This record gives sequence, structure tokens and C-alpha cells, in this order.
Amino acid sequence: MTDDQHPVIIEAENLGVRFRRNRGSRRSFKDLFAGRSRRTRPGEFWALRGVSFTVAPGEAIGVVGRNGQGKSTLLKLVAGVLLPDEGGVRVNGGVAPLIELTGGFVGDLTVRDNVALTAGLHGLSRREISARFDDIIDFAGAADVIDTPFKHLSSGMKVRVAFAVVSQLDEPVLLVDEVLAVGDRAFRAKCYRRIEELLGEGKTLFLVSHNERDLRRFCSRGLYLDGGRLVLDADINAVIERYNVDHPA
Amino acid sequence: MHPRTAKNRQNSYVTRIPEARRTRSSAWSSLWLLTRRDLKVRYSTSLLGYLWSILDPLLMSLIYWFIFTQVFQRTVGEAPYIVFLLTALLPWVWFNGAVSDSTRAFLRDVKLVRSVALPRWIWIGRIVASKGVEFLLSLPVLVVFAIFTGASVGWGLLLFPVGVIMLATLVLGIGLLVAPLTVFFRDFERAMKLLLRVLFYASPIIYGASDLPSFAQPLAWLNPLSGIFSLFRAGFFPDQLDWGLVAASAAFTAAVLVIGAAVFRRTIGGVLKEL
Repeated sequence: MTDDQHPVIIEAENLGVRFRRNRGSRRSFKDLFAGRSRRTRPGEFWALRGVSFTVAPGEAIGVVGRNGQGKSTLLKLVAGVLLPDEGGVRVNGGVAPLIELTGGFVGDLTVRDNVALTAGLHGLSRREISARFDDIIDFAGAADVIDTPFKHLSSGMKVRVAFAVVSQLDEPVLLVDEVLAVGDRAFRAKCYRRIEELLGEGKTLFLVSHNERDLRRFCSRGLYLDGGRLVLDADINAVIERYNVDHPA
Repeated sequence: MHPRTAKNRQNSYVTRIPEARRTRSSAWSSLWLLTRRDLKVRYSTSLLGYLWSILDPLLMSLIYWFIFTQVFQRTVGEAPYIVFLLTALLPWVWFNGAVSDSTRAFLRDVKLVRSVALPRWIWIGRIVASKGVEFLLSLPVLVVFAIFTGASVGWGLLLFPVGVIMLATLVLGIGLLVAPLTVFFRDFERAMKLLLRVLFYASPIIYGASDLPSFAQPLAWLNPLSGIFSLFRAGFFPDQLDWGLVAASAAFTAAVLVIGAAVFRRTIGGVLKEL
């Protein structure tokens, strides 16, 4: 699946996932086990369908589209936290997901425990964790609160710690889902520098954002999603232009 | 390199080519990490910490011991009755805790499940494991009472670990079955609570399987816990050991695990969407 001439790090093939429109509607046991049938049942819609693309290592890709057009869903499928109903996605390597950043953190445990836990769950060995621990704390600027229970941290600090951990994972693929909107300006600048650093190291970036400046700054290629379909897969400037034409502000 | 492909539906796949760190061993280390986290949270947030894991079975045993030996004249079970109780009650606390917790396996840590791509059975496995560790930590209570009452010990004690393995397997199977269903049908959570309360009295805990009247004997055969508890009791009460029941339990346990795993695989895609 990887030949040396054209290495592929992410390969999505006819990717599709469907959701139920309303949570409240009745669900029967038959529904639950009827995954085999591919027709859409009433009350369901395809959040994403027929999406295919390949990504080479080191590419930086921006995902563009209005709200609810499948951007985050696509990211979750690549991260492997959502399973497709159709087609599939292949990732040749680990993924550092900046999605639901503070998700793995436990309020009752200290920052130290939380960093070790989250890094461990993302696949770092104990030795790697202790080697990077100081860098992580340093990056987050959390030296004063190492032994404070996580729930007592300010919401900004929570995100900083979480970003620090995930960005230190050293995985070849980095998934970013609009998390950068939080935190103060100084920290945001720090995050941007970190992402650029990672890109410089040859990591692959997958960025979901509504911010044109961010998209143009980091990404070279864009995916434009509309109505769950991949409408355009081209240079980032072309994609943003097309998006602006379709949806003038 | 073996690509690991998770087939959830017939026509879809998610594949990760494992690197050195994304190997099978990392699933186990994640399981251990989450188990330790559960225990750490439990013990660091409460003053009495570890005592809570022994207090519950201890208090229950003392109540039943008082009622059945001091108030009533005990006609069931064997002496020393407190040891007889504890040998089944401690595993019961594990079973009860793990099964009722597994109804919330996905709901309790929604954010974590949504952000980390671990093999999904780990969300159940960590509950079985953390309750299992608590069970092991509560065993000193049994030891103390066994010494205190001068209970006799036999070779059957070797069957104790067998009971542990069978119970862990059974709980895992039930968890795999119950956890996804609870996500779709929230009623399941309360139904399970009710079912567990019935099961407590329907299982040979305060009595032995052989104490059941003959018309109720099928109950013991249908209940996988009766064979498993008889393994736990074999070390102290060799008469409680009934190989027939053990075989029935083993068959039941294996079936539950197979069905649980199948249901889990079939429904996990929907579970992740629902969270």
C-alpha cells in the first residue's frame, strides 16, 4: 500500500458515514443490528459520503466548509474515533488528535497524573513520558500547578496543558479541529509556532478552520466539503476562493 | 508489519499500520493505565479510600451472619458461616460492581471515548479490571476471618484462581453486551439494577446451591454464578464443589463472551455516533 515513489500517509476511499436526524425517534433492535443494509432508512442522513483522497507525508491540508457539512466528522474518521458505514480510511502511522482536547483529563487527579495518563493513552511509554514531562509543563507554563487537581485550573490553563501534551506526542499526523480559538493571544502565538515547527519536521497536518488567515498560513492544499460531499480538492487558495464565491459573507 | 484492520460493517474499515508503539502490548498498557486511573480517582477522592472496598462486603456479611445465625437458626450453608458468606459475597461485590458500572462504560467518559482511538473493548475491560483489583485487595478480610474462626483449608483453594478467571470472563462478556445496549436504550441501566438485586438472592451466596429445594434446582443450573461461587468455596467447603455446575457455568460463560463480543462488534459503530 505504500510504494516508495508515491508514499501515502492517509488514504480515504469512498468514505461515508450516516447519522440519525433526531435523537428522540424510536430505535428498534432490528435497526441496531441491520448495519449490513446500505440503503438509507427514514430519519437518517449521510453526514459524509463518497469522499476519497490521498495525502502524502508532510502535506498540510485545510478542510473548508460551512457548519454541519462534515468537516469534524471527517477529522474524527481519520482519528479513528468514529467508524465509517461505507468505504474506509487508512492511516499509515499514529495520529495526534487535537480534538476534544481536555477529554482525557480527570478533574480529581493532579496535572502531573493527568499528563502521564493522557500521554500514556496516546501511546507513549513511561520512559518517553518522563523524558518529555518537563518540556510539556514548560510549554504550557504550568510549573506552578503541577500538583494541583486538574479541576482547579482555569479553563485556559486546561487547554494549554492539553495542547502541550498532544503536541508533544511526536506522531506523524496532526489533526487540529478549531481548538486554537481558545487561550490568550500569547499562547495562541505559541501554538502556531509549535505547529509550524512540527510542519518543519515533516509532519502531516489536517486542519479544520473557518479562519482564512490560519488556513493560508499553514496549509498548501484544501478540501472543500459541502453537503457531506467532497466538492473540491485543490490548492488552498483555489479552495478558499471557491468557498467565498459559493458563500459570500 | 501486519496492518490491523477493524471491520465494523461489511463494507467499511479503519486501518492503522502499527508502528513500534501501536502494538498489541499498548492495548494492555492502556488497559492498565485506565485501571490505575480508576483506582487512583477512587482512592484519592475519599478519605477512607481503600476501606470502602472492604467495608461494603464486610458490613453485608455481618448483617447476614447476624440474621441467619443469631436471629434465625441457620439451616443452610456451612460453618463457619461468616467464611461461607464471604467466599461468595466478595466475588459477588466484584460482579455486581462491574456489571452495574459497565452500563455506564461509554457514558461516564464520553469525552475520553470520543478523543482517543483505543481498541474499544478496553472501555469494558478497564471496569472489569479495576473492580477485579478491588476484589483482590478485599481478600485479606476473608483471610482474617478464616484464621479467626479456624476454618479448615484444603487443596480446593487451588480452584480459587480458576474462579477468578471464570468470573472475570463472565463479567467481561456481560459488559460487552450491556454497555452498547445502554447507550441506545437508557432504560437498560435501571433494568440492570433491578436484575442484579434479584440475582443476588437467586445466587448461592447466603445459601449453597445444594440447599435449593428440588423444584428450584434448575435455577442453580441456569445461573452461571452458582458454578463459579462453588469454585471460590471449594477451598474451605469441599462439599460445595459441584463439577456439573462448574461445567454448566463454563459453558454459559463462554457463550456469553462469544455473544457479547459479537454484539459489541456489530453495534460499536452506532455507539460512537450516538456519544
